[in-house]
Amino acid sequence: MKDTGFAIRLQGVTKSFGKHTAVEDFDFEVPRGSICGLLGPNGSGKTTTIRMIMGILHPDEGSVELFGANPDVTRRTRVGYLPEERGVYRKMKCIEFVTFLGEIRGVRRAEGKKRGLAWLERLGLSEWADKKIEDLSKGMQQKIQFVGTVIHEPELLILDEPFSGLDPINQDVLEEIVRDFHSRGTTILFSTHLMDQAERLCERVCLISNAKKVLDANLHELKAAERKGVVAVEFVGPDTWLDGPEIDRIEDTGKELRLILRAGADHQAILHRGVQSGAEILRFDLVEPRLHDIFVRHAGAGVVGDAGTPVGAIPGGA
Amino acid sequence: MLVNVWAVIRREYLQRVRSKWFVAATVGGPLFMSAMIVVPAYFASQGSRDAREVAVVDGTGVLYERLAPQLAEAGWDVREERWRVNVVTELREAADNNLLGGFLLLDELTLETGEGILYTKDRPSAIRQVTLRSTISRAALEYQLEQQGVDADAMLSGGELRIEMLSEEGADIEEPEFLVAYIGAFLLHMVIMLYAVAVMRATLEEKTNRIVEVIISSMKPWHLMLGKILGVGAVSMTQMGIWLLSGVLMFTMGLPMLISARPEMASMAEVIEFLPGFGLLALFGGYFVFGFFMYSALYAAVGAMCNSDEEAQQAQWPIMMLLIIPIVMVTNVIGNPSSTMAITLSLVPLFSPILMWGRVAGGGVPAWQIGLSFVLMLFAIFAIAWVAGRIYKVGILMAGKRATLPELLRWIREA
Repeated sequence: MKDTGFAIRLQGVTKSFGKHTAVEDFDFEVPRGSICGLLGPNGSGKTTTIRMIMGILHPDEGSVELFGANPDVTRRTRVGYLPEERGVYRKMKCIEFVTFLGEIRGVRRAEGKKRGLAWLERLGLSEWADKKIEDLSKGMQQKIQFVGTVIHEPELLILDEPFSGLDPINQDVLEEIVRDFHSRGTTILFSTHLMDQAERLCERVCLISNAKKVLDANLHELKAAERKGVVAVEFVGPDTWLDGPEIDRIEDTGKELRLILRAGADHQAILHRGVQSGAEILRFDLVEPRLHDIFVRHAGAGVVGDAGTPVGAIPGGA
Repeated sequence: MLVNVWAVIRREYLQRVRSKWFVAATVGGPLFMSAMIVVPAYFASQGSRDAREVAVVDGTGVLYERLAPQLAEAGWDVREERWRVNVVTELREAADNNLLGGFLLLDELTLETGEGILYTKDRPSAIRQVTLRSTISRAALEYQLEQQGVDADAMLSGGELRIEMLSEEGADIEEPEFLVAYIGAFLLHMVIMLYAVAVMRATLEEKTNRIVEVIISSMKPWHLMLGKILGVGAVSMTQMGIWLLSGVLMFTMGLPMLISARPEMASMAEVIEFLPGFGLLALFGGYFVFGFFMYSALYAAVGAMCNSDEEAQQAQWPIMMLLIIPIVMVTNVIGNPSSTMAITLSLVPLFSPILMWGRVAGGGVPAWQIGLSFVLMLFAIFAIAWVAGRIYKVGILMAGKRATLPELLRWIREA
């Protein structure tokens, strides 16, 4: 088995359900040890992609590699997979459930129980260990499921919308744990439609929209490259100079206007036009774009709402 | 790899055995069964307990000695009263003063017709009337037969038919036990269906709550299916083992205790005559295990190809039919165990557990046919597991609508 240095590698992957194309000609790589976000609005193809990586779905075209080879059971067992649709054995006791999930992946029962109890302690669920899962709240069930996902200390974590359904405090707890795994060398791929979360956590981001990849890059490099994309301005006087081919759209934040520029646009030309128009320019500032802005610039407005609230989700996708 | 199959078996087993349902069915089953036998018998005997002594006025002088032991056994409290003038008036007076429950009058006519007269204030229950009537007529018959020099005991106990086989075939046939054949066939039908459907439900539940995605990511679908079947199978063995054990205890210890405590219920001991021997019990177990494997694999496949209970209800019909056909045929097959149709049908693997059992228990089946049925079932298990495993593999992860027949065939080919 050749080691490609990638935990996950997708090449030219296409998957359709009837007439609906869920994922189209998708190339995607997750380097070992990295923490990578799969971003996009609901129905953009995130879950379908993850399910193909986990061998639950098979691509119509293209290839999926896990640790440099076919995603067979042996390799999938090295993955901790938290699916989007949460499932538990409702009648089982919490500790038995996580122990069982360890057991089917080769963790001895005693060891699994020890680890499970340690995890429950860390998540503040110790007193629930011997309670049936159905007696827990949704959020607590989700934490139990997360414990089940990591009980076998996987090399790769694949988390499908891990933060949805958790309150802000527990989102922070989970974020902390994910960071912890990353610092210990675990490769992490998670999907989310929450841009803020991704912005805080990810080294790499992959943006999908309408079944297609629109961006796939290192977040820092991406932000640096996109730095010239957003200009914050404050001015007094005429605003006709804001009407130009360089500007894709303008957002009013209340105290400033944010000019979202088209790719490759020359911000100097706008400044030049402003000075000539006679407006008094108080501020003309190249700002670091939010991931949200970058995504909108590449995917087009109207796909993602502000502050990570998705709008215009594509129906029928998985 | 077998470690995770073991984990699935263990989980399935413990979850089920610990459930309230299991405890209720396992303990409640034998309780219900023994209640079905004991309670009516108890009430039947209870009816006599407060009845007072009955005087028997034997005008024949030969009937009382024959009647008394049998009536006492059936719970009657009897004493003999000599025939004399005014005996009826005296006894009637005693009854009026509640010194006597009643009196039975037997005379020369009784010896010819079996007719007797019971004077009583309270009408006896139907069952007591029957015992009394048959005891009287039997005593009269015994007397008459003895007068003719006939062995009354042998004649009245139903005679005897010895069978001498003219051919080698069937020499090892067991004694016919029709009741065991019928009841056993229905029980097999019930328990195979009960536990095979449990496999379907377990599969469906895992599929609908999506836990299966996580489990399949760590083990082969085939292993999960195997674990489910073996887990439920182990539960069935435990449950039936407990039932069997409590049955054995009931007949070896419970029944003698009951009879010694209440001698009037002694007739219940006759039930033991109808019980199957060890050989038949083992055969029952064998047909259950093989039948369970065939049907549970089929039901697992049904569970895997459906997305809801409603869908599964419909999709399980073809398999349900396979279990119903032998039940429809069983009377015929037990009645004519050597007909070509009976032999053919009982060798069809999916029908064998019920039909071959019925034939064997009913008598008239050479050993080679029993052996052949197990060999054929073994082949069938492998064939069914192959097909069902393929359907399971594709279906378990499939969402959306239920698969159509052409789709199923494609799954089997491509999986």
